[in-house]
Amino acid sequence: MSYKITEEGNVATVHLDGEIDMDVTEKAKEVIMPLIEAGKEVHLNLKEVQYMDSSGISVLIESHQKAAELGNKVILKEISKSVLKVIMMAKLEQILIIE
Amino acid sequence: MTLSEHKEFPVDSSSLKEIRSFAREVLAKDPMFQNSMDDVVLALAEAAQNIVKHAYSGQPTGDKMMVKIKFENNQLTIELFDKGSPAIPQNIKPRKLDDIKAGGLGTFFIGQIMDEVIFKTSATDWVNHLVLKKNY
Repeated sequence: MSYKITEEGNVATVHLDGEIDMDVTEKAKEVIMPLIEAGKEVHLNLKEVQYMDSSGISVLIESHQKAAELGNKVILKEISKSVLKVIMMAKLEQILIIE
Repeated sequence: MTLSEHKEFPVDSSSLKEIRSFAREVLAKDPMFQNSMDDVVLALAEAAQNIVKHAYSGQPTGDKMMVKIKFENNQLTIELFDKGSPAIPQNIKPRKLDDIKAGGLGTFFIGQIMDEVIFKTSATDWVNHLVLKKNY
């Protein structure tokens, strides 16, 4: 997994790339959580994520919940077909914020 | 077409990518799996992840796990063998769908994708023997 962060005002966009599994979830959290804790609205761009398993979905859930706790939000953007399929299999499309 | 391939991998989260590659390579041999390949690879990877996470509690080990992929009589059978702590099938439950938490999703995915999930007590040198079946 690789990533790129761009910031504009209070919005931080994290572009994730590659495969997100148990082996990289800690790294993903280390990238995303500090942005949420800093009060940013975090946009996760998942266009280049070719594979995500339950560990990756857990990162999305935890990020969503942490942001909600802090009165903010995490928005999922440009979700790849394969990741969207897994989100829908987990029936999370109504829970997570998807644009 | 019949298939029967197996391979051993170190019990480590860094093996998951290699396990997925192995599965894709095997399943690519028959166009029948084209539509279901991503799902089947996910189910297998979730089962392998459970070995790392639960049978070995995420602790480093020099042990290996074995993955077998077999297709015959229109049935795909994936078997995983490991030497970790014995699994207690009654304790392995998918999360409830209305319970929005991170854990238990992998088991839920496996159940959604595969037609049968069987925990066996291995008669060989292995401790755990998980069998996943999907009918075509």
